[in-house]
Amino acid sequence: MIKYILLALFVGAVLGYVNSNVNGGFSGVWVSDYLFNGSLFGLLFVMGFGFGVDKDAVKRFRGKGLRVLVVPLVVAFGSLLGGLVAGLILGLNLFGSMAVAAGFGWYTLTGPLLSQVLGSQWGALGFVANFLRELLTIVLVPFWVRVDKYAAVASGGATTMDTTLPVIVRYGGSDVLVAAFSSGFVLSLVAPFAVLGFASLV
Amino acid sequence: MVSLSMVVLVVPLVVGILAGFVFRGVRRVDLSRVVFGVIVVLIFSLGFSIGSNGELLGSLPTVGVSGLVFALLAIGFSVLFVVLVRRRLRL
Repeated sequence: MIKYILLALFVGAVLGYVNSNVNGGFSGVWVSDYLFNGSLFGLLFVMGFGFGVDKDAVKRFRGKGLRVLVVPLVVAFGSLLGGLVAGLILGLNLFGSMAVAAGFGWYTLTGPLLSQVLGSQWGALGFVANFLRELLTIVLVPFWVRVDKYAAVASGGATTMDTTLPVIVRYGGSDVLVAAFSSGFVLSLVAPFAVLGFASLV
Repeated sequence: MVSLSMVVLVVPLVVGILAGFVFRGVRRVDLSRVVFGVIVVLIFSLGFSIGSNGELLGSLPTVGVSGLVFALLAIGFSVLFVVLVRRRLRL
């Protein structure tokens, strides 16, 4: 899936570049505004639908009580603090920096959302920062499992319910499956609201 | 500054969650293909707007380095706190 996404990004960038540098190119607004907003709305709706329709989600959390919320909340706190420190180091707006980190690795959401709300500069940063979080997590899983049982789950953020789940389970064993899935689920649900919330403070 | 777009973006998400809740158990649908299709179109148009912005294209190497700083710090603090909390609470 990742290669199709990178291909789409690359082809889009090349076409956008060519279109804005040739005479008689069509108005880029059709793609960068209408198509972009339409598909962003579509994604938010479909993701929301997926959360709402999943009746097993509540069942998975039942019996475990509030303990399942501990890991995702700590990961959210760590990610936001990481974003804050990154913003301080790089001299960026601190709320914008926390909005970037609030994607918790979900780059297909954070990039477009920040692009829409704060402009393409933040959108590109939101995409790259969260893409690298997912990529580094996949690469570092064999190392994380030696550090701590839940280190890979913490590293993956919102991605541990889908893209990084198979790798984490392969190295960490099936004990971490429930923790990884539930942490990723909670963070994925929180991410769009957190990204928009911090972006609104910029 | 709260712009209108932020409020507008929460709408499809919340409507989606409610719609999903209503359609619960009606029919099992595989959303992953739909999500994938929408994501490809969305990322294509994100790429298009990045490619159309000459100023941004020039600053992409900086964006790469900044992104790496963000990713490393977010991962580092998340892992650190989870390890500390887990040892304390014996999760």
